[in-house]
Amino acid sequence: MEELVRQKARELLSTRQLECVIGWERASDGLTSRPFFAYTPEEADRLIYDQTCVNSLAKFLVDKRNKNTAIVAKPCDTRAINLLLLEKQIKRERVYIIGVTCAGMREVSFGYMGEKLQAKCLLCPQHNPVVYDFLVGEPVAEEAVRSYEDLAEIDARTHQEREAFWQEHFNRCIRCYACRQACPGCYCQQCFVDQLDPQWVGIRIAPQENHQWNTVRAFHLMGRCIECGECQRVCPVKIPMMLLNRHLLREVESKFSFQPGLSPETPPPLATFKPDEDLGI
Amino acid sequence: MSQKSPLSQEPRIVGFLCNWCSYAGADMAGTSRICYPASIRIIRVPCSGRVDPILVAKAFAMGADGVLISGCHPGDCHYVQGNYFTRRRFAVLRSLLDFLGIEKERLRLEWVSATEGQRFAQVVADFRDQLLQLRGAG
Ligand code: SF4
Ligand code: SF4
Ligand code: SF4
Repeated sequence: MEELVRQKARELLSTRQLECVIGWERASDGLTSRPFFAYTPEEADRLIYDQTCVNSLAKFLVDKRNKNTAIVAKPCDTRAINLLLLEKQIKRERVYIIGVTCAGMREVSFGYMGEKLQAKCLLCPQHNPVVYDFLVGEPVAEEAVRSYEDLAEIDARTHQEREAFWQEHFNRCIRCYACRQACPGCYCQQCFVDQLDPQWVGIRIAPQENHQWNTVRAFHLMGRCIECGECQRVCPVKIPMMLLNRHLLREVESKFSFQPGLSPETPPPLATFKPDEDLGI
Repeated sequence: MSQKSPLSQEPRIVGFLCNWCSYAGADMAGTSRICYPASIRIIRVPCSGRVDPILVAKAFAMGADGVLISGCHPGDCHYVQGNYFTRRRFAVLRSLLDFLGIEKERLRLEWVSATEGQRFAQVVADFRDQLLQLRGAG
């Protein structure tokens, strides 16, 4: 697959008016991967694709919105691309998508590659790219039903226990906003936490403010989160925010029969309504 | 966070009322001399659709026992569709808060028109009772 990705990238860079091909290269530890921008056909040889290519690259397309680019995209990345297309952040005609099928990314930690798949990959509902111009890899069979068994542990708790659980996690938040920087859905030019007038949320790193930040971040990704897992992966204090994202996914699926990132056209659930719907409120 | 007030105190309710229906409804309750609990602190907003979830998260983080959002009945919104969007938004926000440990009963959405002073008083009284019950329960 890797060779095919390189071939295609080389071909694109030498035959088309392209700024660059966005993909992954081997990191300096010789084991993991890091994002890589290939600007010349020669540089295309540095591209890799294997079970270490965990970073979501879709967000770079927003920076390159006015340039013609190509991108190597895993299935979850293609869902992010659909999200960006739907929200008119990028133009389809400017992006050439080299879709790659995915067998899941592996857990990697300091110089050691585990056998285990990343938590997000174990729960991933989509193994084939949903939008692409060129497909690398054989399409794999999809499991039809989504499962939310990871949420059962929280569902089983009382409200008091839930509150204590989240407070303990949120208290550790250092407000570095890495979760936001990594998220393909968080492309706002000015995020609500950076605004000083009005100041929606205080800048203190303290329980109240942390609670507001973490709650509203999750809510802003409601019906938009495409489960790339980047937010939780980059969080230095390991706040399990995928639980919140996935709870909201479960909500939009059950209330509005909507799954984010599957189509660049279906209006997102909060941008539409049915006059006579009963939402139990 | 989101600590409830002590048992000896009145529950604290933050009420976001839309300018065109519910705020006028509350006004109607006042001019008609209908009593309703003093637990509610009213904030007037142009439309129930104006209530940003951040404001609700903030109210709870700062110690509100309950948050009431009230607007025109479906179909009567001054801005035609505002309250339909509100309904979707808060259906999901409620469930997110519940998952975070803030019982979903603590966020209420009600439709109160400008003439429904009686109904407004009833809504606030019911909400207060429910909050007292919740507090008793846990
Ligand atoms: S919220 Fe997290 S999992 Fe969802 S799209 Fe953003 S980074 Fe990915
Ligand atoms: S947290 Fe909300 S406001 Fe901030 S970047 Fe993400 S979506 Fe935008
Ligand atoms: S990455 Fe983690 S610590 Fe940083 S702001 Fe997000 S939740 Fe807080």
